[in-house]
Amino acid sequence: MSMSPAARKWGRVAAWVITFAVICALPLMLPAFRVDQIAIWMTLAMAACGLNLLTGYNGQISVGHGALYGAGAYATAIFMVKVGWPMFPAALIAVVISFLLGIAIGLPALRIKGLYLALVTLAVAVLFPLVIEQFSSITGGGAGLTITTPQVNRRGAVVDQKIEFGDMAGLKGDQVRYFLVLAIAVVCFVLARNLVKSRVGRSLVAIRDNETAASVSGVPVSLVKILTFGVSSAMAGLGGAMYALVNGQVNLTSFTIALSISLLVAVVVGGASSIIGPAIGAVLLGAFNDFVTLPEGLAGAKPVVLGAILILLMFFAPGGLVGLYKTTMAKRAGRQARGDGGEPAVPSAFAAEQLAP
Amino acid sequence: MTNFLQVLLVGIGDGAVYAMLGLGLVVIYRATGLLNFSQGELSMFATFIVWTLWTVGMPLPLAVLGGMAGGFLIGAIIQRLIVRPVGDPHEKPLAVVIVTIGLFLGVNGAAQLIWGTLDRNLDPLFGAGQVEIGGVAVAWQKIGAVIVLAVMVFLFWLLFQKTKLGLAMRATASNSESAALVGVPVQKLLMLGWGLSAAVGAIAGVFTAPNLGLGSNLMQLTLIFGFAAITLGGFDSLVGAVVGGMVVGILTSVLPQYLEIFQKMRLAPAFILILLVLLFRPQGLFGRKQVSRV
Repeated sequence: MSMSPAARKWGRVAAWVITFAVICALPLMLPAFRVDQIAIWMTLAMAACGLNLLTGYNGQISVGHGALYGAGAYATAIFMVKVGWPMFPAALIAVVISFLLGIAIGLPALRIKGLYLALVTLAVAVLFPLVIEQFSSITGGGAGLTITTPQVNRRGAVVDQKIEFGDMAGLKGDQVRYFLVLAIAVVCFVLARNLVKSRVGRSLVAIRDNETAASVSGVPVSLVKILTFGVSSAMAGLGGAMYALVNGQVNLTSFTIALSISLLVAVVVGGASSIIGPAIGAVLLGAFNDFVTLPEGLAGAKPVVLGAILILLMFFAPGGLVGLYKTTMAKRAGRQARGDGGEPAVPSAFAAEQLAP
Repeated sequence: MTNFLQVLLVGIGDGAVYAMLGLGLVVIYRATGLLNFSQGELSMFATFIVWTLWTVGMPLPLAVLGGMAGGFLIGAIIQRLIVRPVGDPHEKPLAVVIVTIGLFLGVNGAAQLIWGTLDRNLDPLFGAGQVEIGGVAVAWQKIGAVIVLAVMVFLFWLLFQKTKLGLAMRATASNSESAALVGVPVQKLLMLGWGLSAAVGAIAGVFTAPNLGLGSNLMQLTLIFGFAAITLGGFDSLVGAVVGGMVVGILTSVLPQYLEIFQKMRLAPAFILILLVLLFRPQGLFGRKQVSRV
């Protein structure tokens, strides 16, 4: 089947419109707990988007982004519960804190690369819940923190109550939460897309592909690497902050090494070094975890499936689902342009790039 | 002072276990330049094999040998089917990290599928008894760990320094291309390396399980300690793994006694150690300079 470029463009626009319509319609149709689950997938998508900037575009491997997501969540909870800030300033300070933490991890990452950086960040991921437990007077330790805000109750007394998003503009609390997170997630992804398409984005990729060459070409390598770590962590922290607001409480069991691995899985499954890939990955992973229920004795089957998918993807489609889609399209375009025999008119350098991790 | 001696001895016992896991990591790293993030899970899986054999009535020492054999097979098969096709870890670090993390998830899940999610009890290999050394009671289990480690190091030394097989393995580690050219079956030796590493992991798991309870998360903390051990010792040094393991064991046992901040974070000293060594002496104490820097 052949399509003119114009038709293909309109097809893409239509696909986007339909996707967006479905995303907006979902919360109106699903029960509240499902709506919250999907909102949480979106917070994970933000963190995965940040991780992708770092790992996919800049080539710095982090197995510890779950800790930064957790830091964002805990910072939000602590500033709301212990300091008494309203939710948005608390979320904002959480993003700033995550940014600074990212810079702090990014500094040693200037000298530690590849497998060794993965090792250090893995240790960060394992360490995070222990740090939370150690400082239990602030963090609530193993019991976690339930986010409360002082509110005036019916009798006129001021008491701490669990945060609630009230009904707004005809939407219920869970729907308000959903659209809030959706809006922030969209902003995140648009910012990431613009960043990647800019001069800075090209320098990220240049550093990943050849640091020395990038440096010779005038890219301030150290600065870019550290800032990427910071921005990436800030996005993870923002995801965490939104998680805290949606979930209404934080507990250290949510931020173990398993979370860090999940984020990496989301990036790799969706497609490292594509903007929308991590979002697709995060949604698929969320759906797999929350919507697929297995019989009692088969608790281990999910990680086995995930592990197998990861390994198979690395062998057959290192660019993830988005990469797979792009190579398929590039091959088809090549076949079409070639017509009857002859050399491909569309060079498949792009396809080759997607295949080489 | 007796208190210090107590935590010191406990630390040495723990350190022996970290060193065992570290030895497994070093064997793989030397041969392929790969940091095996799934080493802890392979070790946990092999320990479950030990538990199964022991539960069906095999004496524990025999079950341990059985678990080592099982671990060896699994390690070798994984190398052949999954790790070999991925390629060079230094050229494609992300692919290798992802594959070993995939293994991590897969092996962990497989253990949950087979043995369930409840923690199992495994008796200590050297019994629950204690012996008095310098006025403090030390569990036989800890002393046993040190003895087993010593035997293990001796056997590795014999293998690598005194046999033709070990020579071939060293040749592969130092330059696999040249080794292949002179007829060394490089891939078979890498399989052997993975097998050995998982077999050693079985023992590390057997010493960890009685304290923590045998569950699918058995070795996750121990793995970080093992990584800290080989980071300090040098990623490619067997001696380094032992020395590093001991230092890490002692630090993580002694420091929390005197510094309150580490009490719930025994991992923190290990983490700080990893970070400092990678920053200031990336080749570790005994390793050859290899870690790349900017």
